[in-house]
Formats: sequence, structure tokens, C-alpha cells
Amino acid sequence: MERGLYIAASGMLAEQARQDLISHDLANASTPGYKADRTTTKSFSEMLLRDASSGQPIGALGLGARIDKQVTDLTPGPLRETGEPLDFAIQGEGFFAVQGKNGVRYTRDGQFQVSARGDLVTTNGDAVLGAGGRPVRVGDDGTVAGNEIGVTQLDAAKRAGENLFTGTARGASKATVRVGALEGSAVDPITTMADMLGSLRAFEAGQRVITTIDATLSKAANQVGAL
Amino acid sequence: MLEGLRAAATGMTAQQQRMDALSNDIANVNTTAYKHERTSFRDLVASPTGLGGAEQVGAGAGAAAKSAGRGWGQGGLQATEQPLDVAIQGDGFLQVKLADGRTALTRSGSLHVDARGRVATSEGSLLQPPVTLPVGTSPSDVQIASDGTVSAQGRPIGRMVLVSVTSPHKLDDASAGVYTTNAASGPPRAAGGDTTLAQGALEASNVDLGDAMVELMAAQRGFQMASQAVRSQDEMLSIANGLKQ
Repeated sequence: MERGLYIAASGMLAEQARQDLISHDLANASTPGYKADRTTTKSFSEMLLRDASSGQPIGALGLGARIDKQVTDLTPGPLRETGEPLDFAIQGEGFFAVQGKNGVRYTRDGQFQVSARGDLVTTNGDAVLGAGGRPVRVGDDGTVAGNEIGVTQLDAAKRAGENLFTGTARGASKATVRVGALEGSAVDPITTMADMLGSLRAFEAGQRVITTIDATLSKAANQVGAL
Repeated sequence: MLEGLRAAATGMTAQQQRMDALSNDIANVNTTAYKHERTSFRDLVASPTGLGGAEQVGAGAGAAAKSAGRGWGQGGLQATEQPLDVAIQGDGFLQVKLADGRTALTRSGSLHVDARGRVATSEGSLLQPPVTLPVGTSPSDVQIASDGTVSAQGRPIGRMVLVSVTSPHKLDDASAGVYTTNAASGPPRAAGGDTTLAQGALEASNVDLGDAMVELMAAQRGFQMASQAVRSQDEMLSIANGLKQ
């Protein structure tokens, strides 16, 4: 009986974590090149209950659930024309490589600027790397051709904040770079809002289970044996 | 739990910042040589979700917006037929001296002559290097060539120098339409040969009202979505609160 309480609580905790991820997605509905997460919820390994005296199996007992895997969905977002000479969008798969403070990082946010030294940099000031792995020079006319910027294929891309990803580079990508456009956020408002509502109701259901078990326990504790 | 609430709230703050920039743009749709503001968004670092997820599952901390400087696209030219109105075509600025002695840059070419015959901007800042009309010259006798050479009745009397900087996105705003350079923008240098001056015209604001309104609506919807997430998180807290009857 008490076990049921904890199983229901674990379900609530998993929904709470999912809700945190959804909030983050909704907050980034306008972040260029943002990729939403997909999560999988998995139950803990089940236990087989057995009658201690006869050895007869009674059945399996689950121990609740938790979010087991978080996968960033790398489906490209919609492209938006901005007309700015230093906005770039990747058409297809791959990432821009930038020289971060702690090594090379990857991003699909192509809102770049020019540094005082004339190099192409991100809005955080990290140098954008060209096809040869060197910083990209901005021409005297303030423009950069799309093919001067390297697009890298990435394995095991993992979000690192600040629109950056870490991962294992796997050579150049065949994707083309479009100048004067930005990739929008890949957060789909409709499914995300639906997920949010679904998760909220699942959380509520977990609460109902706990209050029901609690009421049953209360009866057992206070009414059994009462005249 | 409160992390999710905060993440959703950061989304609202970020959209608010974008709406502020857009409102400013819309207010300046008729300001001479106004350049629209750009807002950039970034996602904030992830932290573990706690008991509800496996160790490697992390929830981000929301979003943040910051200014990404201005969009320096050319504004349209409006003919005014005023002899001291100049419009800059291409990448560059007029150099002016502010009242406090600092040198600044502007593209707002609505010029006039002060009491001592010196050419100044509408705010009263003198051109740098100064251009002075000889005594008795009326502004209607002034010709300004596309390279900035100023002549009065056929005789050259000075030159309006055009300068540019390497990174105009990083210029500081000194006052409306007036910018100062800093280490990140790079020092002023002579503008390229394809930057020209047009006399008798002003550069219009480069705000596209249609784009700005669409952006504003998108920002508003983004704000609403983030506020729904706040509400949902709040409801979860209230449900959790209802566990103990």
C-alpha cells in the first residue's frame, strides 16, 4: 500500500521534470536555431512478487517512472528572410563551428557580426570558423559569401547553452549556407502546448492516486476495529 | 519545480525586451536616417532535473534577449530640395563634434548654418573637420558634390568627410541618431569609394512598418506562450500543495 504512494510520487516527479523541459522550450520560441528536446519516460525495472510460503508467483510490480532519455530533435526550423548581410542560415543538416572560450562549439544560430579586427563573430564575440577551420574575414563591403563559412556534420550533438552545441565533428556537410536569412526556433507551439497540458493532467492524476491511497490508509488506520 | 517557473518567466522577459525594441522602431518610422534595432535570443545553460529524470537529463534555464546592435540597411532617399540636406548612400557616417568635445558619427544629414557661418547638424554639433561658409554666402549658393566637396559659387570651401567603422553593430548610442566609437567597433577610418553624398535629400528611416508589426505580433504570441507555461507551472505547484488535505 505504501509502495503505491511512492510509485505515484515518482510519476509526479517525472511529469514535473517534463514540465521544466517544456517551459524551457516555450521560453525559446524565438531563439534562432533553437532545437527542442524530446524525452522518453521509462519505468524502473519491475519486481516479481512471490508468495513466500508456497513460492507461487503473484505478479509483476512496477516501481514508478522517470525521464530516461533526452534527445535533441535536430529537425531544421523554418528559415526567415531578414535581409541583413551578416545573417546566415544552413539549408539542410550541419552546424556552424565557432571558437568558444573552452574549445570549438557548434551552433545553428547564424546571427553574426563583424569584430573590430574584421573577423566574423557570433553576438557573444566567438569567432566563426571557415571551411579550413580558420576565422572568416568580412570583406571591405561588409559582406561574406555563404560558401566561406564552414558547415560541419555533428554526431551526438548535445546542447550546451548560449545557442551552442557540443559533439563529435564528422567532416564537412553538403548543406548550403543562405545569406540574409535566419533559421527560426524549431519549437512547435501547438504540440508543445498540448504536451504541457497533457503533462499537467498526468501530474494531477498522480496527485489523485496519492490522495486516494492516503484516504484508504486513513480508513485502515482509524476505522478498522472501530465499533 | 521553481526552476521551470523561472525558465518560463525568462521567456517572458526576453520577449518583453524584443517588444521594447520594436516599439522604439515603430515610433521612429519617420525619423531621418533611423536604423532599426536588432534583438538576439539565446538559450540558457541546462542543469540536472533532479529526482524526476535520469542523471544525464537536464532542463535548461530559459532564454535571454540582448541587443544585437542595429540593422544598417540603407534607408530610402527623400528629396527635400534643401541645399544643406545631405543623404549618405552606402556604408558611412558624417563626423561631428559633440558639445562635450567628443567626436561622434551620424547619418542624419539635416544640416544648417549657425550664426558664425559654420555648418552644423540639427542638434547643433559642428561637422568635423569644420566647414565654414564665407561671409555673405547664402545656403542656396552651396553645392555639395557626391564625394563631399563643398563649393560656394563654384569655389571649393571645404569637404564633408565620410568615415566608417569596422564593426558598426558595436557603436554606442550617444543621442538620437548620433553614435560614438569604442574599442569593439574600431576607430573611424575613411569610408570606401562607393559611399557617396546626395545633396537636397534626406535618408528615411529603414524601419519597415509591415515587418515591425509582424515581429511585434510574433513577440506578443511568444510572450503569451511563456506566460501559459508560468500558469501551468503555478497550477502544478497548487496541485502538489493539494496533496495534504
